[in-house]
Amino acid sequence: ARALMMPPSTARRLCFLSLLLLLLLLAAAASATADAAAAEEFTEELLLRPLPDRKALAHFHFRSSAPPASAAGRHHHLFPKAISQLVQKFHISELELSFTQGRWNYEQWGGYDPMSTNNAKPPGVELWAIFDLPLAEIDATWKNLTHTLSGLFCASINFLESSTAFSAPRWGFKLNEGNLRYGALPREAVCTENLTPWLKLLPCRDKAGIASLLYRPSVYKGYYHSQKLKLKSSQSLGIILDQTLTVVLQPNTVSGKQLHSTGGQLQPSWSMEHLFSKKLSGKCLVSKSSRVFVEIEKGIVDNVDKAGSDVSSNNDLFVLSTAPDRSLKELDNLEVQSSSLYEYDVNNYNSDKPLNVGITWKLPLIWSCTRAPYHASRFLMGSGNERGSIAMSFLSTGLDKQLVDSSNDCSIKAVVFQVVPWYVKVYYHSLEVFIDGNSKAISEVVDKIHVTPSEDKLLPGTMEMLLKFPCSMQLATLTLDFDKGFLHIDEYPPDANQGFDIPSALVSFPEFNSSRSYPEADPLFVSPLLENFKEDGVVKSYTEVLLVPLTTPDFSMPYNVITFTCTVLALYFGSLLNALRRRIGEEERGLKKLLLGNCNLHCFSLNLKC
Amino acid sequence: MSLIPRAAPAASMAFAGRDPAVISLLKMLPLLLLLTFSSAAAPPAAASPSAVHNNNWAVLVCTSRFWFNYRHMANTLSLYRTVKRLGIPDERIILMLADDMACNPRNNYPAQVFNNENHQLNLYGDNVEVDYRGYEVTVENFLRVLTGRHESAVPRSKRLLSDEGSHILLYMTGHGGDEFLKFQDNEELQSHDLADAVKQMKEKHRFKELLIMVDTCQAATLFSQLQSPGVLAIGSSMKGENSYSHHLDSDIGVSVVDRFTFHTLAFFEKLNMYSNASLNSLFNSYDPSMLLSTAYYRMDLYKRALNEVMERYIYF
Repeated sequence: ARALMMPPSTARRLCFLSLLLLLLLLAAAASATADAAAAEEFTEELLLRPLPDRKALAHFHFRSSAPPASAAGRHHHLFPKAISQLVQKFHISELELSFTQGRWNYEQWGGYDPMSTNNAKPPGVELWAIFDLPLAEIDATWKNLTHTLSGLFCASINFLESSTAFSAPRWGFKLNEGNLRYGALPREAVCTENLTPWLKLLPCRDKAGIASLLYRPSVYKGYYHSQKLKLKSSQSLGIILDQTLTVVLQPNTVSGKQLHSTGGQLQPSWSMEHLFSKKLSGKCLVSKSSRVFVEIEKGIVDNVDKAGSDVSSNNDLFVLSTAPDRSLKELDNLEVQSSSLYEYDVNNYNSDKPLNVGITWKLPLIWSCTRAPYHASRFLMGSGNERGSIAMSFLSTGLDKQLVDSSNDCSIKAVVFQVVPWYVKVYYHSLEVFIDGNSKAISEVVDKIHVTPSEDKLLPGTMEMLLKFPCSMQLATLTLDFDKGFLHIDEYPPDANQGFDIPSALVSFPEFNSSRSYPEADPLFVSPLLENFKEDGVVKSYTEVLLVPLTTPDFSMPYNVITFTCTVLALYFGSLLNALRRRIGEEERGLKKLLLGNCNLHCFSLNLKC
Repeated sequence: MSLIPRAAPAASMAFAGRDPAVISLLKMLPLLLLLTFSSAAAPPAAASPSAVHNNNWAVLVCTSRFWFNYRHMANTLSLYRTVKRLGIPDERIILMLADDMACNPRNNYPAQVFNNENHQLNLYGDNVEVDYRGYEVTVENFLRVLTGRHESAVPRSKRLLSDEGSHILLYMTGHGGDEFLKFQDNEELQSHDLADAVKQMKEKHRFKELLIMVDTCQAATLFSQLQSPGVLAIGSSMKGENSYSHHLDSDIGVSVVDRFTFHTLAFFEKLNMYSNASLNSLFNSYDPSMLLSTAYYRMDLYKRALNEVMERYIYF
């Protein structure tokens, strides 16, 4: 008691103050972490759209965002740790990885809107990444990145590690300073094992929310399915991860084949249950917002306007099964309504009252989607196993006449980016251009061209070209000759006789912008899916994958065995017969006898001894 | 190869300790040691005294490509499903499938693989994870997985990270012959390759016990060169015999499962995680008249009696 210097009341006050200070500190720390943790967000959205060829498009969009690492440290509660570790380890500033099966039908499903521009991907695996590193280190980092992604997504992405598989375009794909790497595997299979880890990156996986609709047999029965992962990382904004899955399905409904009283065929009426065999029974509880959109395109909206009715969810042409919570109008450059979006907030639905959005058609309707200015396609020419040609054709779709003024010096730019593997040895000097059937000089059409020629077993051939077509053109064709190379016997895949793939070429039209604007939308209504639609993006389309048959050695074991065995047998039997039947010297003796016989006769006649 | 098992007095003491009546025998410790020395059924000592079974791994390999080899994929996926159901998680399973059958354009049932024409069980499920697929299934990658000698960039999910306490199930199916197993119609794995890999694994303490099951023609010949202790091998047929498929599914158009795997599966479907069935009962369930071949098991490298072996590969 003698050691106590301060009077008891002061000590008590000091104790109280220190306790208060401690509490304040704790509260501050808690709020700081809460602030940082609360800045991680997850949103899920689904967009449904009827397509003109009696199919339905379903587009799933999941966005996870994490604040900059300095604020939150290494702890995440919504954002997948695997992705943040990937970004930190490989210094990635942008990455896109897509797994696609099927081909996007540009003629029927459109080529001008943000959906086809962003989500129509080439078949197989496509990976590109921009690194935040000195240029000398990028190739080694790319190699490690491909291996890590291969383990993460159960795919053979590690085949992109060797220099023969990837390329570094400067402006043909995306403008960059040399830190972009691009690779594609056209023959990679895409199945449930690629979707499983992709879904495990979502906070609710496929157990709750919009991802619970993903009935695997439905997804893989579609005409086109593409799952994509897009990353953007920066010091100021943190990491934004967009995961999208785009599926084109044929709804299995009975009404699809019905004939209407007017004689035309009704479009199939479908609902979410027809597409996925399930209804949506609630949102993912950790998601900030969860929405379903139904998009009615310009073609249908024009028809509804023509029929004289208002474009609401219940009109003369179609009716939506559930009344939407909100409707958004998209306006084009001329302030005319272009397409219409109906929004459903999944928050209002639960397992007792599940959401089953559907559309029922009342009158037969035919419409078409807006297409890119040219339909780009690619094919092979020539026959035999020695040489051939790659031809690329651009067929005008009539869009240019609507949007661009048709004065005499009007031209449409197109950028072509193509990577060809080394065993298809392209001769870039043999490039020929034909416009409407007439051969043109290269300098008239090609504005800029950058070629990295292929090196045997080292580098693929990369070509980036800027073309200028006259607006009045109907059809343009480019041809390139190539020689077929030889592979070492160990380099042939097990099914070598199928042929070898040339990955899709990318054709983009820099003067055409595919973004959309929804000016009437409530500013508080934040939807990542619509944000992506509003982003500036050039119209682009991918061409087909080409299959090149190369000379293969004869791998067939039975043929070789038969050949060797027959040769051995022939040698054996031939020698045996020779040994048995032929008498050595018999011929000479026979000839001698004949000569001697003649001689004897001669001697006898001459009475001489022989 | 010593035929006299090195006794583990600690183990036998532990066993004796469980039975209260035997505690009195502790005084006769020297006699006990003598008994264990002469007993052939005594458990062998592990290479290091701390080797206790504490994890299970499975390496499931399908080596055939092309649509008409659908049944090999179904075999492997059936084992995958069984092994997952009985407790081994995806992180401890290395699944190698040489081709894609579920999303193959010829498959009438996309994302579904069946091993029975009644189509009741979808082997592909919703959560399959394939570690090596397509062109990656080569003899080189297979041997790298077994021996653990990978390039530095190879991710963890593609490595067999077993240690000296691991029990590993290695299942291979495809086309095979006398002393070889064909990989993807392109190359072959020979019996001495496999024996060398297993020997390396034993040297590096990568397993405590290894069960190899092979379902191919003349499967037993693949084990002829094995010499490492702690290995148990089951083959679907003997030298000179073929292994046959079970039945044809006229909807899918090809045979959907092989006989040996079908009967193995029929045995495992009756089990759950808590069952106490022994390997002996598995062997007894193989009927040569149903398999149309003689199932062969190589037990000489395996020191314990089979009726003592619970299905230790499947659960802890």
